[in-house]
Amino acid sequence: MSASLAVIEKDLRLLWRHRSGWLSAATFAAITVLTYSFAFDLVTDDVRPLLPGVLWVTFLFAGTIACSRTFTDEVEQGTFDALLLAPVPRTALYVGKVIANLVALLAIEVAVLVMGTILFNTTLVTAELLVIVGVGTVGYVCLTTLLATLGSRVRSREVLLPVLALPLLVPLLIAGVRATGVALDVSAPSAPWLLLLAVFAIWSAVGSALLFPLVVER
Amino acid sequence: MTAAIDAHGLGKRYGASEVLEDVTFTLEAGSRTALLGANGAGKTTLLAVLSTLAAPSRGTASVAGYPVDGASAELRRRIGVLTHSPMLYEALSPLENLRFFARLYGVVDAEARIEELLRALGLWRRREEPTAVLSRGYHQRVAIARALVHRPAVLLLDEPETGLDVEGVALLDELMLRAPGMTVLAATHRVDRIDVWADDRLMLERGRVAVAVGLS
Amino acid sequence: MLRNTLLAVYGARWTVLPPLVGISMLAMLIGAVVVAPREVVEGEVQRLFYIHAPSAIAMYLAGGVVFFASLAVLWTRDLRFDALARAAATVGALFTAIVLATGAIWGRPIWGVYWAWDARLTGTLILFLIYSGYLLARSLADETDEQAARYAAVLAIIGALDFPIIHMSVDWWRTLHPQPIVARGALPTPMLLVFFVGLVAISLLAVWLIALRAEAEGLATRVSGLRAAADRREGE
Repeated sequence: MSASLAVIEKDLRLLWRHRSGWLSAATFAAITVLTYSFAFDLVTDDVRPLLPGVLWVTFLFAGTIACSRTFTDEVEQGTFDALLLAPVPRTALYVGKVIANLVALLAIEVAVLVMGTILFNTTLVTAELLVIVGVGTVGYVCLTTLLATLGSRVRSREVLLPVLALPLLVPLLIAGVRATGVALDVSAPSAPWLLLLAVFAIWSAVGSALLFPLVVER
Repeated sequence: MTAAIDAHGLGKRYGASEVLEDVTFTLEAGSRTALLGANGAGKTTLLAVLSTLAAPSRGTASVAGYPVDGASAELRRRIGVLTHSPMLYEALSPLENLRFFARLYGVVDAEARIEELLRALGLWRRREEPTAVLSRGYHQRVAIARALVHRPAVLLLDEPETGLDVEGVALLDELMLRAPGMTVLAATHRVDRIDVWADDRLMLERGRVAVAVGLS
Repeated sequence: MLRNTLLAVYGARWTVLPPLVGISMLAMLIGAVVVAPREVVEGEVQRLFYIHAPSAIAMYLAGGVVFFASLAVLWTRDLRFDALARAAATVGALFTAIVLATGAIWGRPIWGVYWAWDARLTGTLILFLIYSGYLLARSLADETDEQAARYAAVLAIIGALDFPIIHMSVDWWRTLHPQPIVARGALPTPMLLVFFVGLVAISLLAVWLIALRAEAEGLATRVSGLRAAADRREGE
């Protein structure tokens, strides 16, 4: 247990040390929202119905960019082997990375919501929306972090990760966009979307945690 | 004497190529063995199998009395490994690196043990700097401290002299290669130094044991 | 006894499968074009159904093979299952493409559009993307790389487990596609008969293609392994 906590603490410390590296994902998210805001403003007076889509596409793209380097440093510096050599459960290695990615992406997403509030003149920082975004983020970070383990195995992985992750994340995208639409009063509550989001989050967390040791075991 | 490392019919294949074939040997506790052989003879693979980083395709091996198959926490606690890579977090300082690994291994008197190692290796003054700014030789010194922080009984070393200056090599001898009570298996190309530290020799050729000197 | 029978069938697969596939495919074509009656509402274009629906079943069957072969890769670490999974994924992607193409050709006169973001269409397209992603990821690593094989297997398992969720989510979202007509028993007997002939033909074709691919992949793996071994011998 103490070893697992040590891994999590180490990953948070590395997250803080590498904070400038995360800025690229944050900047990307900001530029995306700005570009959407500008481009849509050219064709329509009411951009509010488009907002849920804008937000989730931004989150997923920024998420895959941010997660793609999850294990790169560990593999390049050989520390991944050091972790495998240590008497620590493999799942802990995964949990540490997931928590670090979650913290970074939630920070980016809150910044995007604040920015969207200003650009689209709609209050986006509400408790309901934060819950929806939080649950959705758990869902996609768990899955994308697992898929990022291939960073150690193949070439051109930065392009590959979104190609692999985005089709698998379609349920999350649909549920996230619909739930956000309901929260913003731009679409009707046609199905229990938040529940689907939560089910997806639990599924991807449990499934990934179980499968991760099988990928990294030598 | 009990066996510290016991390999029997060990084989490892990657795809269709046999990197190790039928490797059998026994190292007694406290013995120091030089692992010799040309490039590609299988030295690194043998060390990877013994340190549980690679699963053997055939055969069995036990290290410190525990089979490598199960790769139990007990086995991992008892081995110290030095590979081609220093295996350190470049963004963290030597002190933070060692604290992290000490916690992974559950070292009780971590702070005292870390200070002892850092002072012995001449790193105490630079303990707070990011590892990234240290030279190759200092990387290797921190790596030695990392491999020793949990007081392993068996050392598995791959080219431990890499990057070390004369003073560094002397420290390596003192702390690892000639340290009393530890079993050492070290792959090396520094044939000139073998007589300084090794009692026994294990020579690999094309993944097989070619010569074993002084081994039971 | 059963084991011997199975082994005999397996041993004769290259003599039995090709003619069987050829005859049944021919029967399917004749059935679809000549035997089956002209559909009253939809007209001639409805005949595509006899390829479309069996291909859809084949695409799921191939997915099932990928899933179980991938489980076997994780369980046994035997690369022959990896070759089987890759073969089934290739064939699965092929039939998914056939389903999408025939669906689009049928959709143009019936719905007035080639493509619509309907639940079934979206689900099938995503399945195609998952197949492609799996094949792309696997092809970027060495085929003798056992860990890359396990990675791809995990990807396939995630995809297979994800697919029901994808299906449910797009179903909740919208649906336009005609409900599977065979299951409702609403199909006239001659049409049903031709459909089953098509099902047999396409299934046999899928099995034959998967077997061919798997055998070829297995041989390619062996060749690259032997080549690596030869390089090692030469280097000494």
